[in-house]
Amino acid sequence: MKKAFLPPIAVLAAILAFSLWNSRAMTVSTDRWRSQLQQADALAQAENWPDTVATLTKSYDDWSRCQTWLHIVSEHDAVDDAEAMYRRAMAFAAARESSELRAELADLRDQLRLLAEMERFSIKNVL
Amino acid sequence: MMTAFARTVILYFLIMLGLRLMGKRQIGELEPSELVLTMMISDLATVPMQDFGIPLLAGVIPILTLLALSMLLSQLSLYNLRFRELVCGRPAVLIRNGQLQQETMRKNRYTLDELLEELRSQGFSGIGDVKYAVLENSGQLSVLPWTGQQPPTAAQLGLDLEDDVTLPVILINDGRVLHKNLNSCGKDDAWLRKTLKREGLSSPQEVFLLTLDEQGQVFCVKKEGAP
Repeated sequence: MKKAFLPPIAVLAAILAFSLWNSRAMTVSTDRWRSQLQQADALAQAENWPDTVATLTKSYDDWSRCQTWLHIVSEHDAVDDAEAMYRRAMAFAAARESSELRAELADLRDQLRLLAEMERFSIKNVL
Repeated sequence: MMTAFARTVILYFLIMLGLRLMGKRQIGELEPSELVLTMMISDLATVPMQDFGIPLLAGVIPILTLLALSMLLSQLSLYNLRFRELVCGRPAVLIRNGQLQQETMRKNRYTLDELLEELRSQGFSGIGDVKYAVLENSGQLSVLPWTGQQPPTAAQLGLDLEDDVTLPVILINDGRVLHKNLNSCGKDDAWLRKTLKREGLSSPQEVFLLTLDEQGQVFCVKKEGAP
């Protein structure tokens, strides 16, 4: 292959590799956060409020560590919405509002699924 | 505000670099694929520049992809003639030996009015003055008149003229000595000082432009306001 073909092919390959890695990383991260939220939901259902708050806080810290990456690769509105939901859920957990908390956690899990969905390479997204 | 500023600077340099990599033709005559690329890039760059809700990467990745694809197509066009024809098209002869090629005009959706307008703009009053008219891939019309319609050249007149066409090299540009050019001409600072002295100047800072051609002719323009 002629050398001249290498730079554009290398750029295209790098972009493709980054996109695939990003999609995978987003799926893995959101699955982890959703699992943490699922755990908090189960604890809230069992009225175990100290562990609910601790689990939520741990999940929020984990989420916060990825803020820069999320803002670089995702639409800011979607990330900010999830951030607001996290904060509301933590407030509901602190106030021990079971029904509001569980509704908020369901919305948040859905929002996180949406974040991963937006980055997934699929016919649905392409078209 | 700072976000807008930083994003604009990044995108500006990215596009400048991209267009520079595309080569000189990109800036001048655009072929269909290049026109599409330029339009898409300019549109893509403005979105993340204005909308801070969209990550910068959402503009950068499509731009890089377009530039890489365009470079790839350019390289493929260089090595494969059929591919080049597919991407760039083929020049169309609209007038051949003074005859209008109506079928070719129809295929290229080129009207008679457009053809006559283009001929007039190039100084030809009618189709009869033109031997060939070629519609180039860039959309420009190249017009080749009959020999009788062209001014005679020195060769046609049988004149033996001395070749005095030379390419001057800039040695001083607005007070700055271009040492690379000076060395490539085989000259040095001592020669430059002597030349300046001959022009009645004491330093390069007093010179606006100084050139040297292949025949050793020096052309000097002094800076306005210089003593």
